[in-house]
Amino acid sequence: MRSDAGGNPTAATATVKGMEAGTARRSALAKKRVASRPRKRLKVGHLAPILLATGLGLLVCSLANTLSRAALEPTPLLFWAGILLLAVPIFHRLTAEDASAPERLALVCLLGLSLYCVKVFRDAPTFTFSDELVHAFNANQISAHHHLFRENPILDVTPSFPGLEGAASALMKMTGVSSFVAGVVLIGVARLVLIASLFLLFHRVSGSARVAGLGAAIYTGNFNFLYWGAQFSYESLALPLLLLTMMALAEREAAPKQALRAWAAPVLLAIAAIVVTHHLTSYATAVTLAALSLAYWYVHRTWQRRNPWPFAVFGALLALAWLIAVASSTVGYLSPVINNAVNAVVHTIVGEDAPRGLFESSSPTIPPTPLGAKAFSFLAVALLAAGLPFGLRELWRRFRRQPFAILFGIAAVAFFGTLALRLTPPAWETGNRLSEFLFIGLAFVLGCACVWALSRRLAGAATRPLIAAAIAVVLVGGSISGWPWDSLLAQPMQISTDGRTVSSPPLALAEWAQHEVPEGRFAAATADAGLLLVPGGKTAFAGTSPDVEDVLDEEKLVGWELPLLRRNGIRYVAVDRREVASDTLRGYYFAKRGEELQLRPKSVVSKFNPLPGVSRVYTNGLITVFELGPQR
Amino acid sequence: MKGHKDLRLACLLAVASAVLTLILPWGPLCLVVALPLVFFLPGYALAAAIFARGRIPMRHLLVLSIGLSLAVLALGALVLNYLPGGVRAGWWALLLVIVVVAAARAAAIRRPSRRAAPSPSWKPRLNPAQAVLFAGGALAIVVAIVLAFIPVGAKDALGYTQMWIKPLEGERTGVEIGVGSGEQEEASYRLWVKFGDGEPPQGRYFKLSPGETHVVRLLTEKQPAAAEQIRAALFKQSQPDHAYRRVSTWITPTS
Repeated sequence: MRSDAGGNPTAATATVKGMEAGTARRSALAKKRVASRPRKRLKVGHLAPILLATGLGLLVCSLANTLSRAALEPTPLLFWAGILLLAVPIFHRLTAEDASAPERLALVCLLGLSLYCVKVFRDAPTFTFSDELVHAFNANQISAHHHLFRENPILDVTPSFPGLEGAASALMKMTGVSSFVAGVVLIGVARLVLIASLFLLFHRVSGSARVAGLGAAIYTGNFNFLYWGAQFSYESLALPLLLLTMMALAEREAAPKQALRAWAAPVLLAIAAIVVTHHLTSYATAVTLAALSLAYWYVHRTWQRRNPWPFAVFGALLALAWLIAVASSTVGYLSPVINNAVNAVVHTIVGEDAPRGLFESSSPTIPPTPLGAKAFSFLAVALLAAGLPFGLRELWRRFRRQPFAILFGIAAVAFFGTLALRLTPPAWETGNRLSEFLFIGLAFVLGCACVWALSRRLAGAATRPLIAAAIAVVLVGGSISGWPWDSLLAQPMQISTDGRTVSSPPLALAEWAQHEVPEGRFAAATADAGLLLVPGGKTAFAGTSPDVEDVLDEEKLVGWELPLLRRNGIRYVAVDRREVASDTLRGYYFAKRGEELQLRPKSVVSKFNPLPGVSRVYTNGLITVFELGPQR
Repeated sequence: MKGHKDLRLACLLAVASAVLTLILPWGPLCLVVALPLVFFLPGYALAAAIFARGRIPMRHLLVLSIGLSLAVLALGALVLNYLPGGVRAGWWALLLVIVVVAAARAAAIRRPSRRAAPSPSWKPRLNPAQAVLFAGGALAIVVAIVLAFIPVGAKDALGYTQMWIKPLEGERTGVEIGVGSGEQEEASYRLWVKFGDGEPPQGRYFKLSPGETHVVRLLTEKQPAAAEQIRAALFKQSQPDHAYRRVSTWITPTS
């Protein structure tokens, strides 16, 4: 694998020069040298048409979402055409040998931001992912009450990790913008850091800007990149900080002795920020750094100086201290998820539980993923698997003396292990979360495989387009695997009619609560509760802790239910007859003509009517709110 | 900071950005002004201080500037949380300016004097054709964003009517009833309200266009002696015998 136009960073862009250069004379000479050095010009010849294609691709994606919001049911092919239009020219250019490192960096940044725009276009002008509503509520609470660590009724662990909401509060407080605007801007900036750090990390480890560019492009094909990983949620900020940490560590490893301490500072700062931002990423950081330390020891047989073990210890101790001192509820939050995943895997292996069918929906009313889409996602996984041996061989040949490369190789293989977790329902989420971290290694390995294929003597004119097409398949297939097919496009949540804007029934409920209910806690179905948090601004409980789900869903009230509401200070009960109200992905929108709307029996609402002192204070037909007043 | 143009500029920009952000009246404009202070300058100043004795490539400096700014934001809220008054706009602006100025000062002390400020190692140059392509791409992106944020009509979305009720506050005894139309077409309604026993029901007729809201305040003819349930029903003119929406509340002599 020869060095390309980007050059080897070890040689071409020596990280820190002349750390001890002290005298004014020497500095003046250095300044003169810099001034006389010919400046590289960024080749914009390719960037210009690529930017046009990106803009047109985004326009097509936005159009597909607009048609879907208008309930016109556009073909998903329009959306995918937009994605391909924005991504394929970038992929193709990244395969070129003559592109410079700055151009490749600009291309991957353009790719990362464009794909983020696709997510924003789906949701504008409000958050619609359930985690986003939870975090936006926390941000609004900080903004309104000026303090962190306030209660969250849906996900009580989130206020214990206030990094994301704290950062959003800076924009909200200083500029007065909403949590939506602050969140969209913040995550957009974080995405930029993610993709640029990934590029610089891969560039440092491989010494090739081509591997770095292709690796970063392949990373966009991870299952969560397009939607889940782009939401306003704590992991969306913590993961870019983890990649920044890894990039700084890679630079530190290659830096001259005098610069080791300098590179430690950004690493420590980023680790501290990760710890206060997201539980899983902080533990992943500690594990990654520990693995890197072992890899370093394996290669160099030393624990001295460049071995990053002190950072692993720092990360682990800080995460542990935060867990004990601030976020003890994390144990209760994460342990059932992990226990269930482990138990489910064991039960599936011994044959006690049937494996989960892939692309199987949780409800019969959800349309199945089309066969063609399923085939595409299987093809994407097959391509990833097919490239793995070639990438690992290159890794072994070229980079086996590099601790980072060893780590990437292990992660690449482990990624395919997490695919097996998708076969058991309780382990699905664990596998899905892990894949986002492990895909970093896989992307590097496959970047090596791509460059190996491009540099072979037999590589013909078709090699570049074929590789670009393969990465496009990975992007599309990965996105299909990571997000339900029927929810790829925006749905009608606010529609324009007669010159006015009309909100969907659940959003209308939230807006009524925002304007007409000064105080009081709500119990509601999960989708309604999310909107009651934001934009409703109300404390709303959902689910089984406390068990308001049964209070809402059962056809008769039983003895323990009213005391439960009273104990939790719940004054308003929002009863939603729509089955979809318990779906945090689909429960926010208008029902459409010709669509089969599954309704709960009328008695789930009418059971509250005879309660003494109860008021039926709001209804929009589908959702009715009862006030359990002081007379109850 | 004499001789370090970049650091001086960073400090000036930070102060100007903080002041303007706090005094400008319009959110979107404040956002534009605040962006460098929030997402770039703290990280830039920190990176300048950390790497004062050496050089790092421009692309690393840019990524560190943005990345470290994010870290400052995530950790900064923790610091502000324990200040008097907590997380407030003024504290945020002050904290970010302090980080920029302190780190820039540290960089100026550590950095060898007369060293050239970091500058981009490449400069893009566009010919007219490329400029047109760039402009076309940028225009397409702007149109895409505008399209995404504009509500559009959806004829196949099922409309609805919402209705709510609440007791009047203050000395007068009665209720406020709101009816909001989320229907796709204009609709005519009849409102029927029943106060306590002995009072005749009250009624109202009105039409609502889509997205329009009608709020009525109705008073009792006599003060209730005890808590009294008020019931209201809404009828659509197209279905006069079928109560389309029903709400109720309680009024007390004191409510």
